[in-house]
Amino acid sequence: MPIVQPGKRPAKRFAASKVLGGKFVHGRRETNVDLNVVPMVDMMTMLVIFLLQQFSATGEVLYMTKDIKLPDARHGQQIEVMPVVAISSSQVVVSGQKVAEVSELEKDPSQIIAPLVEKLRDEKKRWDFIHQNDRDREKNWKGEVNVQADVKVPFRVVRRVMASAAEAGYGNVNFATVEESSAVAAAAAASRAVR
Amino acid sequence: MGGGAMPQGGGPKRKRRALDANVNVVPAIDLLSCCISFLLFTAVWTQISRLQAAPMGTGSAVETLPTKSLTVTVMIGERGYVLATSAGAQIEIPLAGRSSDGAILYDLKGLTDRLKKLKAEFPDQAAITVAAEDAVLYADLVHTIDACVGAGLANVSVMGAG
Repeated sequence: MPIVQPGKRPAKRFAASKVLGGKFVHGRRETNVDLNVVPMVDMMTMLVIFLLQQFSATGEVLYMTKDIKLPDARHGQQIEVMPVVAISSSQVVVSGQKVAEVSELEKDPSQIIAPLVEKLRDEKKRWDFIHQNDRDREKNWKGEVNVQADVKVPFRVVRRVMASAAEAGYGNVNFATVEESSAVAAAAAASRAVR
Repeated sequence: MGGGAMPQGGGPKRKRRALDANVNVVPAIDLLSCCISFLLFTAVWTQISRLQAAPMGTGSAVETLPTKSLTVTVMIGERGYVLATSAGAQIEIPLAGRSSDGAILYDLKGLTDRLKKLKAEFPDQAAITVAAEDAVLYADLVHTIDACVGAGLANVSVMGAG
């Protein structure tokens, strides 16, 4: 079968017709169509720039769960990778493992949460093991822990977590917050002004 | 004729080079597609920050230089804020009100103004202690610490009130 160019090929009886055979059409229609891709390249470039601005090399330090809603803050620093103590309205979790129930903590008069201290000591041992060949190990030890608590958690629970962290050698606590963007801040200020 | 006129003359006729050039944008599209895919996979949509605080009396790792400064304490309670200094000043900042669900609304703006005034009087002052009652919510504690950091008092210690 011969190779033919793509295009309209009417049947023979139509080809004989002046009207249907396209006898009045002078010159052939171009078979190759140029697609203008410049707007698409523009759009992709803008997308890449936007996503690069959003890019964070730290990645996800905290695992966001639906039962923990973080408060917002304007003057926070960039969060770093540290052991995370997550406090929801029902339980206290360290690095994904539950260490205490909040309802039980309310009954317990002790200021220290023993399983939490134990877990954080394990984390410290792990850090020591990783940095055992580091000469400035003592100097590099910051003793920081990230506390990711729900907005409704009372301070009495947070205080006990802080005391337990200090007992385990973590003297500095970083409260995790959601960074309040300038737009949100402006909206909040406007709503406050309306009130 | 204008300066941009093409030379005319009796020289040998040469084939003119086409002025329109076609740039192949397909590799650019490929690269951008890969970039977009990678960035979408690794994107972090919630910007999480941290507010550093040290528990009071636990031997903080942050070293503080001995300077002639005040001891400033912000107490958070049911009646609002109480800003106290070692110089003897004690300023009460009452509640801004209560929300529809009965939650306490603290006067953060009033506290921020007072703290900024204090910072203006004592520019070297960086330490502040936040003392919260047991019933104070974590959100209110964080907002108070945020106000302290925003006013320039970045060395925040946290303790229980009473």
